[in-house]
Amino acid sequence: MTHTSFREDAFTLDVDYIVVGSGAGGATAASALARGGAHVAVVEAGPWRDPEHYPHSMYGAMRDLFDDWGAGVAQGRALWPIVQSSCVGGTTVINCAICVRTPADIFDQWEREHGVAGGSFRDTMWKHQDALETELSAELPPPESLGRNSELALIGAKALGYESHVMTRYTKRCAGSGQCLQGCRSERKQSLNLQFIPEVLAKGGHVLSCAPVHRVLLEGRRAVGVTGRFRHPQTHKKGGTFTVRARKAVLVAASVTHTAPILERSGVKNPMLGLGFRAHPGTGVFGIYDDVVDMNKGATQGWASMAYRDDPGFKLETLSIPPEMLSSRLSGVGQELMRRIGEYRHIAMWVLAVRAESVGTVHNGLFDRSVVKYGFNEADMLRLRKGMGVIARTHFAAGAKKVVPGIFGLPYELTADQLSLIDEGPLDPRAYIAILSHLFGGCVMGKDPARSVCDESGRVHGYEGLLVADASVIPTNLGVNPQHTIMALARTFVDRLLEA
Amino acid sequence: MVTLYPRTEAFPGLEDTGIDEFLVRFRRESTFLIYVGVLLGTFLFHWSTLLTVYIPLPAFMLPAGLREKHASRVLGSRIYLLRQAVFLVKLVAGMCWGADARVREKLGLPPQPADPGTWRQS
Ligand SMILES: Cc1cc2nc3c(=O)[nH]c(=O)nc-3n(C[C@H](O)[C@H](O)[C@H](O)COP(=O)(O)OP(=O)(O)OC[C@H]3O[C@@H](n4cnc5c(N)ncnc54)[C@H](O)[C@@H]3O)c2cc1C
Ligand code: SF4
Repeated sequence: MTHTSFREDAFTLDVDYIVVGSGAGGATAASALARGGAHVAVVEAGPWRDPEHYPHSMYGAMRDLFDDWGAGVAQGRALWPIVQSSCVGGTTVINCAICVRTPADIFDQWEREHGVAGGSFRDTMWKHQDALETELSAELPPPESLGRNSELALIGAKALGYESHVMTRYTKRCAGSGQCLQGCRSERKQSLNLQFIPEVLAKGGHVLSCAPVHRVLLEGRRAVGVTGRFRHPQTHKKGGTFTVRARKAVLVAASVTHTAPILERSGVKNPMLGLGFRAHPGTGVFGIYDDVVDMNKGATQGWASMAYRDDPGFKLETLSIPPEMLSSRLSGVGQELMRRIGEYRHIAMWVLAVRAESVGTVHNGLFDRSVVKYGFNEADMLRLRKGMGVIARTHFAAGAKKVVPGIFGLPYELTADQLSLIDEGPLDPRAYIAILSHLFGGCVMGKDPARSVCDESGRVHGYEGLLVADASVIPTNLGVNPQHTIMALARTFVDRLLEA
Repeated sequence: MVTLYPRTEAFPGLEDTGIDEFLVRFRRESTFLIYVGVLLGTFLFHWSTLLTVYIPLPAFMLPAGLREKHASRVLGSRIYLLRQAVFLVKLVAGMCWGADARVREKLGLPPQPADPGTWRQS
């Protein structure tokens, strides 16, 4: 087992393959390479935190697990935060482990619009997803761990007559502690720091943590390694230089916000680099019930509906957030805010993720910070508003006495006869509090090198030994949670790499 | 910050939840950008009273009732960047207040142990 954490002195290493980033894409690619007998080094910007190191509070989660304290924002008319993780295991450590197969229509769309994923691609992906579901114990939460938040959503959707279900997640007997965002201390959630990364070590691989890659080393058009300087996880001070050389290939899987900027810093030339940024912006509506809901008891996310995925384009889910986050999410201050927070135990929170068509960019900016520009168009605002209306109606159908939409300019709370205020709510994104957590693009795959960065095997057009293996390659939104698709893509790319 | 989360009959106020030590820790641990953002938000909070309660005095010189009115209006301001900057202050203050054991107890949640802040070193 070889793991190298922060160091003050210089460090060098030679391996067959380097994987940059250890999240959904990187950890999966690295374990697939190691299973294929290759000598792999995973180079990860964040520290390696085991469950006993996980924080309890949201403050601790932002400090210890979130990328840049969750301070990244998409710059557009509104400033919406981008939430990702920076640690071994990547965003799988803080996500809710929801497991959804890549829908068939997505492969059709990729083939039609980007000339990729035809032939046996879909079957290969689904075969990998079969295996991943077994390896990561995809299962429904035990009924006693579902929680009232999700139970109410089931009741509401049923009353309104639309499809909804309890979600399958990569968990082993989820205990319903509602703490996924802070990392699962009881190891029920199968995040990839617990799964694939230890396997890489067991198979003779190497993990460098606290090691943000500054650039990929290129010799002509061939990728031969990576370099950067260690960064201390507490003080953020820089340590020694690390240089890892790859005999065969470098796979970059540093997430949508970092992969394209790393390639830009490395001098990779491609006019499509950094373009095609997409997301599923998410926002929520609170319902206030007479009975106690205790949203923090139960799976952090347990319920979903795909009824509106195709038309108009959003997915519905439950989500529980701790009081630290709720207190800022509820409007008002002072005595009024305290009264509102006093209703915490009676609040159910349901969210929507918009299958947005808006497209943005992600580039390397000043001081090597990633800059995401993302405007949200009117069609997407209509989807967002429609989704909020559906959630509000579902709350009332489940027995809520009022809802809190959190839309600027609207009253704090609405009763059932006031829902037209949401339906006719503002179309200015600045009136909504949304976050971006499902991200795509920046290095999109496609057949035509003039319209894409990678081919359908993740290989960067025009370069040798350089691949992308994370959500950056995804050329469209998915309309479903992305981890399963990202992992299956990483495995598909590695299969092809090892075959070649 | 204390204006945002005052002491009430039901809850301890921000001043009861160790905000001073929290801010020292926050300054030490957060990134430069976040810290500057919070400073900027605090500055704007104090110096935007003319826009909200039409009084040319910084918020810290206003009587408590008026300061709360100002806080409410500034967070509901039509100027997006102003309300976002103050929202950041509210978010950070909420991190301190909402993690307090007495607050959590009132909300039916168990106390949280201290965050270990550790990581695998070898
Ligand atoms: C709160 C939240 C909940 C979510 N819930 C779900 C869910 O339930 N189900 C689902 O399917 N999806 C969910 N998602 C989305 C999903 O987790 C991500 O889409 C997925 O993890 C992205 O995979 P990735 O490999 O592209 O990037 P990541 O998983 O983010 O991994 C990227 C890794 O690269 C590292 N890195 C960055 N820069 C560098 C560098 N310069 N050098 C070295 N390493 C670097 C990062 O530190 C990180 O560890 C959620 C996301 C969030 C934020
Ligand atoms: S809800 Fe709790 S027990 Fe279940 S996976 Fe999330 S953190 Fe783990």
